[in-house]
Amino acid sequence: MDQSVAIQETLTEEESCIIAVQCLLIMDSITESRLLGLVERGQEHALFLFTHRRMAITGNDITLDKVVPITEDFVIEEVTSPDELAIVGSDTTVRVTLPGLELRLRLLFGSHSRLFLYEVDKACQEYDSETPKSQFVWLSKYCRSLKCLTGLSQPRNCKSAGINRVSFQPIYMGLLNYSTLNSNTKRKGLCMQHPRGQRKMARLQSRPAKVKGEARHDMVRSSSHTLSNKAQMLAMPRFGLRDNLIKCELLKNEEQYTYIKNFSFFIGTYNVNGQSPKETLRPWLSCTPNAPDIYCVGFQELDLSKEAFFFNDTPKEQEWTKAVSDGLHPDAKYALIKLARLVGIMLLFYVKKEHAEYISEVDAETVGTGIMGRMGNKGGVAVRFKFHNSDICVVNSHLAAHVEEYERRNQDFREICSRLLFRQLDASLPPLTIVKHGIVLWLGDLNYRICELEVDQVKDLIEKKDFKALHSYDQLKRQIDENAVFHGFKEGEIAFQPTYKYDTGSDQWDTSEKCRVPAWCDRVLWKGKNIKQLEYRSHMALKTSDHKPVSSLFEIGIKVVNEEVYKKTFEEIVRAIDKMENECIPSVTLSQREFVFKDVKFMEHRAETLTIHNDGQVPCQFEFIQKLDEPAYCKPWLSANPCKGFLAQGGEVHIDLEVFVNRSTATELNSREKTLEDILVLHLQRGKDYFISITGNYLPSCFGSSLQLLCHLREPIQDMPLETIRELTLMPQDSTEMNSVIAEPPLEIPKEIWMMVDHLYRSAAKQEDLFQQPGLRSEFEEIRDCLDTGMPDSLPGSAHSVAEALLLFLDALPEPVICYSFYQECLDSCTNVLMCKKVITKLPPCHNNVFNYLMAFLRELLKNTVYNHLDINTLASIFGALLLRSQSKQDITEKKKAQEFIAHFLINYL
Amino acid sequence: MAKQYDVLFRLLLLGDSGVGKTCLLCRFTDNEFHSSHISTIGVDFKMKTLEVDGIKVRIQIWDTAGQERYQTITKQYYRRAQGIFLVYDITSERSFQHIMKWVSDVDEYAPEKVQKILVGNKSDEEDKRQVATEQGNKLAKTYGMDFFETSACTNHNIKESFTRLTELVLQAHKKELDGLRASINDELYIADLEDDDNKRDRSVNSQKACWC
Ligand SMILES: Nc1nc2c(ncn2[C@@H]2O[C@H](COP(=O)(O)OP(=O)(O)OP(=O)(O)O)[C@@H](O)[C@H]2O)c(=O)[nH]1
Ligand SMILES: [Mg+2]
Repeated sequence: MDQSVAIQETLTEEESCIIAVQCLLIMDSITESRLLGLVERGQEHALFLFTHRRMAITGNDITLDKVVPITEDFVIEEVTSPDELAIVGSDTTVRVTLPGLELRLRLLFGSHSRLFLYEVDKACQEYDSETPKSQFVWLSKYCRSLKCLTGLSQPRNCKSAGINRVSFQPIYMGLLNYSTLNSNTKRKGLCMQHPRGQRKMARLQSRPAKVKGEARHDMVRSSSHTLSNKAQMLAMPRFGLRDNLIKCELLKNEEQYTYIKNFSFFIGTYNVNGQSPKETLRPWLSCTPNAPDIYCVGFQELDLSKEAFFFNDTPKEQEWTKAVSDGLHPDAKYALIKLARLVGIMLLFYVKKEHAEYISEVDAETVGTGIMGRMGNKGGVAVRFKFHNSDICVVNSHLAAHVEEYERRNQDFREICSRLLFRQLDASLPPLTIVKHGIVLWLGDLNYRICELEVDQVKDLIEKKDFKALHSYDQLKRQIDENAVFHGFKEGEIAFQPTYKYDTGSDQWDTSEKCRVPAWCDRVLWKGKNIKQLEYRSHMALKTSDHKPVSSLFEIGIKVVNEEVYKKTFEEIVRAIDKMENECIPSVTLSQREFVFKDVKFMEHRAETLTIHNDGQVPCQFEFIQKLDEPAYCKPWLSANPCKGFLAQGGEVHIDLEVFVNRSTATELNSREKTLEDILVLHLQRGKDYFISITGNYLPSCFGSSLQLLCHLREPIQDMPLETIRELTLMPQDSTEMNSVIAEPPLEIPKEIWMMVDHLYRSAAKQEDLFQQPGLRSEFEEIRDCLDTGMPDSLPGSAHSVAEALLLFLDALPEPVICYSFYQECLDSCTNVLMCKKVITKLPPCHNNVFNYLMAFLRELLKNTVYNHLDINTLASIFGALLLRSQSKQDITEKKKAQEFIAHFLINYL
Repeated sequence: MAKQYDVLFRLLLLGDSGVGKTCLLCRFTDNEFHSSHISTIGVDFKMKTLEVDGIKVRIQIWDTAGQERYQTITKQYYRRAQGIFLVYDITSERSFQHIMKWVSDVDEYAPEKVQKILVGNKSDEEDKRQVATEQGNKLAKTYGMDFFETSACTNHNIKESFTRLTELVLQAHKKELDGLRASINDELYIADLEDDDNKRDRSVNSQKACWC
C-alpha cells in the first residue's frame, strides 16, 4: 500500500510527498518503526519522519517526529557494519547526517526502498545553493509542533562542510554488470591483472566517495568549459547503446558460455489455517534422502486475525519461519535469502550455503486479489532471483475459495500474472512479469475442488486409491485442459489423496456439518525447460491444520556460466563492437596528399584540384582547420574552395587549391624570407585529421621588389642569384656604403621603370584614355616576364597594358616612391609648393630620382592633353594614390591632400 | 539493467617516423600487423574498450604523424591528451636520441597532468638492436616513466603497455572519477564494487542467525 497518501494528507497544497517507505529507526539499543517520506516544495526537499500506527492509511495514523531538510550539508550514505549479517537481499541501513544530527535507518530490502534512495539522491542533486531559495521557511510551521527541526537552528555556512552522497548496494547483479563480474570471485578472470597499482586503486574507489558541495559545483562549472582537459573527461558520452548491444549479444550467445547443471529444488506448500506451529516440520521438509539445493516454502492462512488483515503484521511470521528453518534438511546449511509475505500468504526462500554467491537479482513483490480486488486475504506473493545464469520466479498464491468459484480462481491467477511486476534496475526497461522468467514454480492453496461427484463417491474413489479417476473431476485439471488457466504450466501426476479437508489434529475427513468434499487444494505447478519432477506428494504426518502440506522435489537444469568461455565470448563481443565503432569513424580518401606549385609568378593564378572521397561508413562533415598560433587555416597566398562542407557516404567533393601571390605577399617571397610552403589540416568532425602539404617555388619579380633593390640590379631579377636578392633586400634603406655583393654603383632609377615609362613616352604619349582603360591580363604577364627575365628593346602588349603594368608596379612597391616616413609631412605641406618640393629633396636618392622622373613624364603627357584627354586632376589623383600611400587606410581628405600634393608638381611647369 | 558510465580517455602515440606507432595501434585494436610502412600523414584514432580495476574504460588512441615536417602541427594535439606513449625503435639509435626532443615538446604543449610511458618497439629485431634494454630503462627512470619493450610484430607487451598507461591515467584522474561517481546516482557501481566483494566474503564466511 502506498503510504505517501497518508503523509500527503498532513501537508499543504504546495508540498507533495514524492515517495514514502516504512523503515526502522535504529537507536542505541532499540529500533522503532517509522514512516519516512520525501517531501518536496518548489526545488527544496526534506525528509519527514513519522511515528505511525501500524500500516498508515490516513493522516490520522501518523504523527510527525522529525523533519530533516535536504540542504548542502545533508548526507545520506549506506553503512554496513561488520557484525550485521550482510547477504544478498538483506536490508539496507543508511545513515542520515546533518550538523547536529545523525540518524540510522534500516530500509527493507526491495525495489521500493531502492526507488526511495534514488529519489533522495535526486533531491540531493537538485539542491543548488546558488539559486535563491526560501531557505526552508515552509518547514517552520512544522517546527512549532516539534521540539527539533534539525539542521535549521543554527545559521549554516553553505560552503562549509557540504557533503552529499547517497550510496546503496546494487541489488540486481546481472551478467553484464561489471560489478557482478568483478565481485564474483569466480569471475575474477575477466578483469585484467595489472602489475601494480591495482589494489590501491580498487580500494580508493570502493571507499564511499564523499563529495563536497563545492566540488560538485566545480564540476558543473568546468563541464561547460569544453576546452578544459578535465571537462573533456567528464563530459564523457554515455554509451547506453553499447551496453544494450553487448547485452543482446551476450544473450544471443548464452548457449556458448553456459552449460546445464542439475540442482534440486524443494517446493512446499501448506495452508496452516491460522495455527501456530505445534510440531516439527521435518517429516515434510526433510523427507528427501539428500539435502535439496534450494527450498521454496509457501504458507497460506498464516494468520486469520483482523490485525494481520488490516495491518499486515503478525507474530506468526517469525514462528513459522523458525519452524521452517528448524525443519530443513539436517545435512546442509541454508541461508534464508528472502521472505515475502502478504497478510497470511508467506513465501520463504532458502539456498544451500555454498550456492549463496550464485544468487543475484533477488526481488519480491505481492499482489492482493481479496476483498475489493486488492486486499491481501487472497492473492499472491512472488520471489524472483537469478541462480547462476537462470532467471527463476517462485509464486505462492491463495486463490478464491468455494466450490463454484473456479472462474474467480482463474481470474485471480490472471490478475496475479498481470499485476505482479518486478521493477528492473534499468528504469528504461519495462518491468518484468512472472511469465517472463525462464523458470516459474507456482505453489499454493489454489482452492480448486472436485466437482460433479458427491462426497461419498469421492471418498470411495479415494478408498480405492483411484486418483486417476478422481483427478478427472478436478476443476484445475479441467480448467487447464480447457486452456482457461495456467497456460503453459505443467503439473505432475497426483498420487496422493486430497489434502483438504481434515479435522484438525487428525487424518479424519472433515466431520463438521458442512462436511466438505475432499479436494486437492494444495498444488505445485511449473513452467520452463529442463525441469523434472522427482516427487510430488503430501505429508499426512502433519496434523496442525485442516490441510496437509504438499511437497514437490524438482531436478532443474540451471544455466551455469563457464567462466573461461564467458570471458572469451564477452571479450569477443566487446572487440566486435569496438571494431564496428572504429569502422564508423568518419573517414575519407584524398586524391593527393602533396601538391607542388612550380615556378609561381607574381599575380599568376594557379589552381589544383583535391578530390575528397568519403569511403567511410557514415556521412561526414569536413573542414580545413586552423593551426596553432596561426591566424587562418592557410597562408595568405593560398586558399581552398570550398573550405568546409558535408559529404554523404560514398560522396565526392572537389576542392580547388588556389595559389595567388599579390603585392601583399610578393615582397617576402621575392626576398625568400618566406617560401611557398604550407600544410593544410583537413579535419573530419568526430573523425581523423589529414595533413595536405602544399609546396612550390616562387620566381622573384621586380613587382613587389623595392626601388633600392632594383637600382642595384643591372641584370633582370631572375638572372640574379637568389642569395644576392636576399642580401640586397635586407640591406638598410639608407645604406650608402658599398655592399659586398654590389660591385658597381646603383642605377639612378630601376631599369624596369625606365623601360615602361620610356615605352609609354615614345609610343603612347598621345594615347587616348591612357591610365584609364584597363590592359589585358595576358599582356601583363608577358610584360612581367619580359621585365623579370630579359631586356628586349621594346615591351610587348598594348599601351594600356604597359600603363597598367606601371601602375601595378608602383602599387606593389613595399616602400612607396614617397617613403612612408614622409607621408605625413607631405600632407601637411600640400598647400605650399615650396614645402612640397623640399620634402621631395629629403627622399633617398633612388626614390627622389624615380619621383622626379615620373613627374617629368606626366608633365610630358599633359602636353598632349588634346589627344590623350588627360588633365592634372586625373593624373594627380591616380598617381597621388600610388606614390603617396599611407600604411593605414586613407580617408577622403587625406586622398584629396595627396592629390593636391602631386598636382603641384604637374602644374608649375605648364 | 542499469547502464554503467564509461570513462573516456585520450592517449597519444608519439615518436619518430617508422618506429611503429601505427603498427602498435593496429595490433592493439585489430590484432593485425602490416609489414609495409605507410607513413601516417595526419592524425588518426581508434577506440578500444578496456577494463581496468573493474572500471570500464574506453580509450581513444591517437596516432600521429612522426615525420619531422608535421611536428609543428601535431603539437596542437598534445593538449587534448591524458596519456602519451613515447615510442622509439630499438633498432634505431637516432629514434632513441630523439625521445629527448619529444619529451621536451610534451612538457611544453601537453597538460601538466599528462601521464607518459616510454616504449621501445620492435623488440623482435634482436639482431638489429642498437639500443640496449638498459638504456631504455635508464632513460625512463630519468624521466620517472614506466618502460616497456614491445613488438607489434609478435604482439609482445602490447596490451600490457596500453593497460598500464590507462591505469596511470585513471589514477591521475581519480578525483574527477570520484566526483563523477557521486554525481551520477544510478551508476554507483564502481564505488560499491569492493564493498560488494567484502560482503560476499562475509556472507559466505559468517555463521549468523540466518544460517540454519
Ligand atoms: N620487426 C618489427 N617491425 C615493426 C614493428 N612495428 C612496426 N614495424 C615496422 O616498422 C615500419 C613502420 O611502422 P609504422 O607503424 O608504420 O611506423 P609509424 O611510427 O607509424 O611511422 P609514421 O606514421 O611515419 O610516423 C613498418 O614497416 C612496420 O612493419 C615491430 O614490432 N617489429
Ligand atoms: Mg604511422
